[in-house]
Amino acid sequence: MNLLMLRDVDAFYAQAQVLHGVSLEIGKGERVAILGRNGVGKTTIVNAMLGIASVRGGSISFGAETPRRLRHFTAARLGVAVVPQGRRIVPGLTVRENLLLGAATERPGPWNCEAVFGLFPVLRERAEIPGPSLSGGQQQMLAIGRALMANPDLLVLDEPSEGLAPVIVDELADTLVRLSAAGTSILLIEQNFSLVHRVAERYYVLSKGTIVESGSLAGLSVEVLKKHIAV
Amino acid sequence: MLIQILNGFVYGGLLYILAVGLVLIFGLRRVVNFAHGGLFMLGAYIGYTIASIAGFWVGLVASVTVLAVLGVVMDRVVFRPLQDEDPIVTMLVTFGILLVLEDLVRTIWGKDFLTLKPPAGLDGIIMLSGSSFPVYRLAVIALAVLVAGGLSLWLRSSRVGLHVRAASVDPVTTAMQGVDTERLGATVVAIGAALAGLSGTIAAPLLALSPSMGSFILIDSFVVVVTGGLTSFTGAFVAALLIGQLHNLGVVFVPAAASVIPLVLMVLVLLWRPDGLAKKRS
Ligand SMILES: Nc1ncnc2c1ncn2[C@@H]1O[C@H](COP(=O)(O)OP(=O)(O)OP(=O)(O)O)[C@@H](O)[C@H]1O
Ligand SMILES: [Mg+2]
Repeated sequence: MNLLMLRDVDAFYAQAQVLHGVSLEIGKGERVAILGRNGVGKTTIVNAMLGIASVRGGSISFGAETPRRLRHFTAARLGVAVVPQGRRIVPGLTVRENLLLGAATERPGPWNCEAVFGLFPVLRERAEIPGPSLSGGQQQMLAIGRALMANPDLLVLDEPSEGLAPVIVDELADTLVRLSAAGTSILLIEQNFSLVHRVAERYYVLSKGTIVESGSLAGLSVEVLKKHIAV
Repeated sequence: MLIQILNGFVYGGLLYILAVGLVLIFGLRRVVNFAHGGLFMLGAYIGYTIASIAGFWVGLVASVTVLAVLGVVMDRVVFRPLQDEDPIVTMLVTFGILLVLEDLVRTIWGKDFLTLKPPAGLDGIIMLSGSSFPVYRLAVIALAVLVAGGLSLWLRSSRVGLHVRAASVDPVTTAMQGVDTERLGATVVAIGAALAGLSGTIAAPLLALSPSMGSFILIDSFVVVVTGGLTSFTGAFVAALLIGQLHNLGVVFVPAAASVIPLVLMVLVLLWRPDGLAKKRS
């Protein structure tokens, strides 16, 4: 069974259509990437799942469920947690409180504050300070930790490498591979080829709101991948 | 002097209970709720009527309950449908509700001033450094402190409290984590309205009941909310105590200017800290 499946999704902001018949699926244990340039509609795929962009054609399924109405909270409750673009750490809450917010679904599973601190020890040291005063890399850890607190089957990350130094991006790649080995599937939305190359096994290319290409990353070098995408 | 200060705290306490409801509602619904004065006034009248039949405490519980239900209805019928409208539209609608409530109360209860006696046990007088002071007024101060402490405990250390705080700064991100912010909003509006009922009923033995009592105290509550920083519960507490004191000192020493003094304080605070007491200038 797929953890996430989009079937012919048309998504809109008000009257403006951004996604045109997008179909994709992510199965259990998979690490999948969506590649695409600025403004092609990558975040809109996430926003459609979250009921932020409106889906007027096609359907979105989370696991066995195909909700008739997508509310902001639907995906998280059905096991798909999002690490949003720009991280969206909630101001006015401490690091720990931001993590606890991620547990709102009360889904059972291995993740709690202690487990997240085990994965990102620096967050333990800074647990009681305001979330927004963390550095960019630490905020990304917090956003990932918060998503994990929902004990998701699938983790969706929207451009997590944005604004991070290359060393931090390397650590991020290791973390994502480790999480997937521990049983969390990964959907990585990125423009950073080397991160995608290190993390994903399979990719989709989005262009002007449509999937124009997809395939396996096995045996593909970063250079070849770049050429594929330079459409 | 001590008596004057205590009286300031009594009014400040009433203001706080009313204003903190406004802060809660503004936080989740981004609505400047003019109807809040009407809810306060309606709460006083409901409390008055039930109290004269079944005793003060039953009246208090009844008023709080009815107002909580009214809050849910208002959220459903007014705030939620108007969520995506211009805030001015919602504000005008809540102002309309205030006028309707005033007319309704005038029709049912009449224009005459009514007064409610304090409950038995709290109707005595206590001597404080040589002057007498009504026990009921001390109880009002204690209740305000209790509400402030209870709310702060709830917001700081409960799960729902965390969701309320998160949703008042970033509702979309909060909802993305799995929180049903619509239901949370209804709960919070209900609590805000219930607090208005509470404030109205406990004010009934202190202020003369009249249909316009809500509009009067509403202005001071808005001053408290704005001075405190709109979304800050601590800010509202500090501002309510300050305004309560100033209001009272004004009434005693410069009665002619008493109603202007809180406004002057608000302007001064905003010049010093444009985002209110709770937030430092960035
Ligand atoms: N909230 C919104 N309302 C209206 N239009 C929007 C909104 N968000 C995005 N758009 C438009 O939809 C299109 C796709 O945007 P989207 O954010 O999905 O792109 P993206 O691929 O994620 O880009 P980036 O790489 O810059 O994050 C763009 O033309 C953008 O201007
Ligand atoms: Mg994007």
